[in-house]
Amino acid sequence: MSRVIVVTSGKGGVGKTTTTANLGMALAKRGHKVIVIDADFGLRNLDLLLGLENRVVYTAVDVLAGQCRLEQALVKDKRHPNLMLLPAAQNRTKDAVRPDQMKQLVNALAKAFNYVLVDCPAGIEMGFQNAIAAAKEALIVTTPEIAAVRDADRVVGLLEANNIKQIRLIVNRLRPAMVQANDMMTVEDVQEILAVPLIGIVPDDERVIVSTNKGEPLVLAETPSLAGTAFDNIARRLEGESVEFLDFTAPNDGFFSRLRRVLTTPIGKKSSK
Amino acid sequence: MTSDASVPSSVPIAPESSSNPSPPAENGNGAEPLLERDQQVRLKSEGGKLLLMLPPEGDLEEDNPASTLTWNEVSQQIRQRLHSGERLWQAETTVHLIARDRLLDGRQLQEIGDALSEVQLRLKRVYTSRRQTAVAAATAGYSVEQQSSIAQINQSNGDTPQALVEPLYLQTTLRSGADVQHNGTVVVLGDLNPGSSVVADGDILVWGRLRGLAHAGAKGNARALIMALQMEPTQLRIANFVARPPETPPAEYYPEVAYVTAQGAIRIARAIDFYRQGGSDRQ
Repeated sequence: MSRVIVVTSGKGGVGKTTTTANLGMALAKRGHKVIVIDADFGLRNLDLLLGLENRVVYTAVDVLAGQCRLEQALVKDKRHPNLMLLPAAQNRTKDAVRPDQMKQLVNALAKAFNYVLVDCPAGIEMGFQNAIAAAKEALIVTTPEIAAVRDADRVVGLLEANNIKQIRLIVNRLRPAMVQANDMMTVEDVQEILAVPLIGIVPDDERVIVSTNKGEPLVLAETPSLAGTAFDNIARRLEGESVEFLDFTAPNDGFFSRLRRVLTTPIGKKSSK
Repeated sequence: MTSDASVPSSVPIAPESSSNPSPPAENGNGAEPLLERDQQVRLKSEGGKLLLMLPPEGDLEEDNPASTLTWNEVSQQIRQRLHSGERLWQAETTVHLIARDRLLDGRQLQEIGDALSEVQLRLKRVYTSRRQTAVAAATAGYSVEQQSSIAQINQSNGDTPQALVEPLYLQTTLRSGADVQHNGTVVVLGDLNPGSSVVADGDILVWGRLRGLAHAGAKGNARALIMALQMEPTQLRIANFVARPPETPPAEYYPEVAYVTAQGAIRIARAIDFYRQGGSDRQ
């Protein structure tokens, strides 16, 4: 049984594409056949983050226009044979594709892959409608900011209206020090508003910027980073494993943060921080 | 560093013709529609006039947005093309709009007229196969010639003759998403940024940095060349051959020429060496 998962957020710049690239790679590393689909027609980036830009020959639009077969458009990852990319066209716009066509593409790919990850564009217009057309599950990416959370809330509503019930939350770019200083929304604050089960917390990490620019997903790095481990954990949780959430407070563990953790951790349950 | 470093700097990834990026167009007897090739706004000077040719809208019954440009995309292409080809015409040149089977309303015709007058061109006449477009054009005060759709189809096949059309001269930076297709040689005075592409049936000359995708000899001419002052492409294609640059970029850039060798791979040579040796290993 293959799983079709859309990675979406509403707001731009919160880390949808980074999440898609890293989860795709993490799942491929775990032995699954994974296809990542760039649904951001006209503003494609997923190929860049995977370092596959110069291998793109055909795009999804060429497939739909009947200019090539679907297999011809798939780009195999240069590091991991289990991972493939279906690139978006850069010279067209979101209106070049209709949701029913997207559904057709995704359903065809779902036959050959265990995981189909769709990288959704920002916004809730045509591009969003295309991206969610065939999805059965959704990962909502948000940062702990009021605007991102508001947009995520809107998107959760739209997903539910489109009969996508299996929705899970990724809180990205969390800065533990700021949370401790009470300058940033906590994961609990976000969860309280969205009321969607949490599947991962990814800390803000400079190495994400380095990895994006190099086109090397973090989960491949030889020296593990907190963010990379967080993405690996999300992949494991996607598969139903129960993995403890990372403790980001460890480096500067003061008396108050420890006290706070004790007070905020429900007894007998897994730590949620 | 030296020319040695830059000569073998291509990695053929798909030399098999199975992944032929753009199937040769044969001779246009209309069996296979030339989907992509026709999906471009074209400017052509003919008999002292400029022809502005819109891509056909196609059959609305089997409306497939993937193979047809939307009005927004067409309008964007018109503006982009008008602002990058000032040397093609003089001020106050007359323009004939070849609208083919595109349905244009008064507002859209107005938009085209405005875009043309921004660059001191005058829209005078509209050719169309659609009655509604003809009526809108007549209402807007242009002279109108309505042709049957069949004549239009013949004309669109006439667009792909065996001989190359005159070179397309563009003075602009082609940014991400820009896509230029031409049935001849393309000369770009400016850079090709990553994410842009030029597809030409002839050669491609870039007087600037080539950082996007260039496809020369797109109808199968492996003797086509790609030249750039600074060659750092995302991908190069000549005829059915595809190459991408090496993972480590060269330390220094020279004007370079990309060509297909007799062995069937794309190579890059320093321009001065290429002409001295006459591209001795060319196909």
